[in-house]
Amino acid sequence: MEREVPLLNSPRVSSLSTDRKGETIMGTEKERVILSKYIPEVGSHTEAIDGKDYLITNDAMYTFYQRTKGEFSPFFLALRDEKKLLGCKCSKCGLVRVPPFLTHCPDCNFAPTDLVEVQQVGVMNSTPPITYFATSLFQDMAPYGRGRVIFRGAETAMSVNLFTTTGILVPGIIAKGTEVKLIFRDNRIGEMRDVFCVSTAELSPEQIKKNGLQESEVDWESPTEPGLPEPSDEDVPVYRKALGEIKSIIEEMNRNERARKDIAGWKRDILVKTRGGQFTIFINDGDIRIDEFEPPSPDFVMVCEDPWTLLDGLAYRGAITDSVINKKLWISKNMEFNTIFKLDRMARSVARSRKT
Amino acid sequence: MSKRVGIVGAGVTPFKGTWREKTYYELSQMAAREAVKDAQIDINDVDAAFYGIYNDIFERTAIPDHAIHGLLGMQDKFGIRITNGGATGAYTMSAAHAYLAAGRFKMALVLGVEKATDCFDFSSMSATPEVIKSIGWSGDSFFEQGIGWSASDSYAEVVLGYMDEHPGDLKPEITAQISAQLSQQVRSNPYAQRQFDQVTPEEVLNSRLVVYPFKELEICVYTEGAAAVIFAEEETAKAISKTSGKPVIWITGVGEANEHSFAGKKQKNMSRIMSDYYASRRAYEMAGIKDPTKSIEIIELHDAFVHQLEITMAEFGLVPLGRADSLIEENLMTPGGKYVVNPCGGLIYCGHAVGASNIMSAWSARNELIKRKLNTALVHGTGSTVAQFTACLILEHG
Repeated sequence: MEREVPLLNSPRVSSLSTDRKGETIMGTEKERVILSKYIPEVGSHTEAIDGKDYLITNDAMYTFYQRTKGEFSPFFLALRDEKKLLGCKCSKCGLVRVPPFLTHCPDCNFAPTDLVEVQQVGVMNSTPPITYFATSLFQDMAPYGRGRVIFRGAETAMSVNLFTTTGILVPGIIAKGTEVKLIFRDNRIGEMRDVFCVSTAELSPEQIKKNGLQESEVDWESPTEPGLPEPSDEDVPVYRKALGEIKSIIEEMNRNERARKDIAGWKRDILVKTRGGQFTIFINDGDIRIDEFEPPSPDFVMVCEDPWTLLDGLAYRGAITDSVINKKLWISKNMEFNTIFKLDRMARSVARSRKT
Repeated sequence: MSKRVGIVGAGVTPFKGTWREKTYYELSQMAAREAVKDAQIDINDVDAAFYGIYNDIFERTAIPDHAIHGLLGMQDKFGIRITNGGATGAYTMSAAHAYLAAGRFKMALVLGVEKATDCFDFSSMSATPEVIKSIGWSGDSFFEQGIGWSASDSYAEVVLGYMDEHPGDLKPEITAQISAQLSQQVRSNPYAQRQFDQVTPEEVLNSRLVVYPFKELEICVYTEGAAAVIFAEEETAKAISKTSGKPVIWITGVGEANEHSFAGKKQKNMSRIMSDYYASRRAYEMAGIKDPTKSIEIIELHDAFVHQLEITMAEFGLVPLGRADSLIEENLMTPGGKYVVNPCGGLIYCGHAVGASNIMSAWSARNELIKRKLNTALVHGTGSTVAQFTACLILEHG
């Protein structure tokens, strides 16, 4: 049995733990460096182009490693075992580099360096990017920040993941000069994912001061579904009108070959709750349809107080992704950004087809 | 004394999102056939081959050039592969130029090819997440790969670093306008992946965030295809030109620079693309260009991202740092403006078949110099983490 990690919409759970799908935590034999969902079955199929069949086979190019960490071992062992952050100091120019990625300083004709400990609070070297559409390895972790921090006592910047305790990381929470704190994961194996940073503005003075602060010592905002107000007399007609338009767009998507291709092989039941009513979007391997029937166990829930928020996205008048980022639309699982991307993609496909 | 080197032939395959009906073997040969035909030479007259292929994982083999050497008719001749991230194509041309300028060969085939979208993510049943994962293996494997490094987020670091220093530049409405303009320019490129994908600035602004601050319609697309150019030393080039009737486009300047991949004191300055700065200055110096704003007319720029296009133009010295938006606001690159930037649609609309992209750019720059009867073009390639690598070439209409 492989460890198939439950995916919940909590930074602590989904962003900080479930992304570790490639890990092998010592002492457990069940975990694998590659999860089964990434591994295709042996097989082949053909695709027809201009009346000719072309063959395509399922394949992989894989190599397993026992990766040696060599001269970086003290750095990673300090993270794993002592919850310390090390750098290296040049014996000649005194420059302190974190991480200690060299043993001799190239600026001083390869003068030797010595390992030194630096503090676990630092500032952002520049404003960090935020990844919303991740590679297949990191889809469960998105959205995540990755930026460079100059820790106190260091003069170079170290790449770290950046999260917020307040939900989805959005632009503006962390920028150039923002003070951040290094947080250690509870389970560490000696790699860069053993640590990440959050803004010190989200921590108590005691937490900021503490060396080796762990993720379980930090309060993470729970992913609670936002409540909707009771519908007013105007809300229901607004909902009915929006629903009619959404239905019409979904039907157009279903007729559009390009859009159907966007959801090939994808299956999701999405319960959509709005102020005036709720409905379900069913995606099933190229098919998309809508119904006011509520499935017993939807794959995820989407809440948007105003149904026009979703309608605008589906109609290619703005991205649904952006509505999630801007908190106009809430989804119950971060990993379902993937499905949101597909809906955005379908909207674009229909718009492109209309032009041509 | 080094020899003059010129381009005497060029050809590209159609750039497509996927080529189900061709392998990279056939794509390579298609481009080579076109280039040889364009130069009106026999492949047997070519002395050496230079291959620009970025990523072993895309081609699913660790020495992707070994198989194509023989099928290109280069058996028993010199062959070398160059791989330098996104700048692979530009560096491949730089290497070929150096060998010919040194007198080692009279004529060389420079071929770039990439077959990226065979990579497929079976968990999301789509290619893109696996393509960008494959590129993700290019990041630092000890400190950055494991925390989600990607090509987009590393370039976004540079763009955001620039915006920290110049908060009024790279305005969203300007990047949207540039993307929309490129989508119009691509109309005249029949080889482009997105020849008929014209977008409005509003559509660009409304497209989804992929990696902050990049929106979907501000990012290059993954492409499969090949591009080839034939380089020849001066006497050979002139003889070929006589036969083909096409002018030699001389490579008068070449410059390269690779920055540090870690940031901080004495390392990478995240607000600059110093590789673009140094590479362009070295190319200008070799070409004898004192003031690029007076000499450079066509720029085929590796636009991995629209924001980076703007910064790169500033690093080239063609607009001031902090005022890159003047490209649009002062009509410097709008139709009829001072600079012709990415007439082929660039990598965002023509497509980014990584090893082939910069060679496609050289193909386009050569065509445009001849067609527009202009004198000087700059061809550029950028790549690796945080825009670390750059190679630039100056092309002149002799």
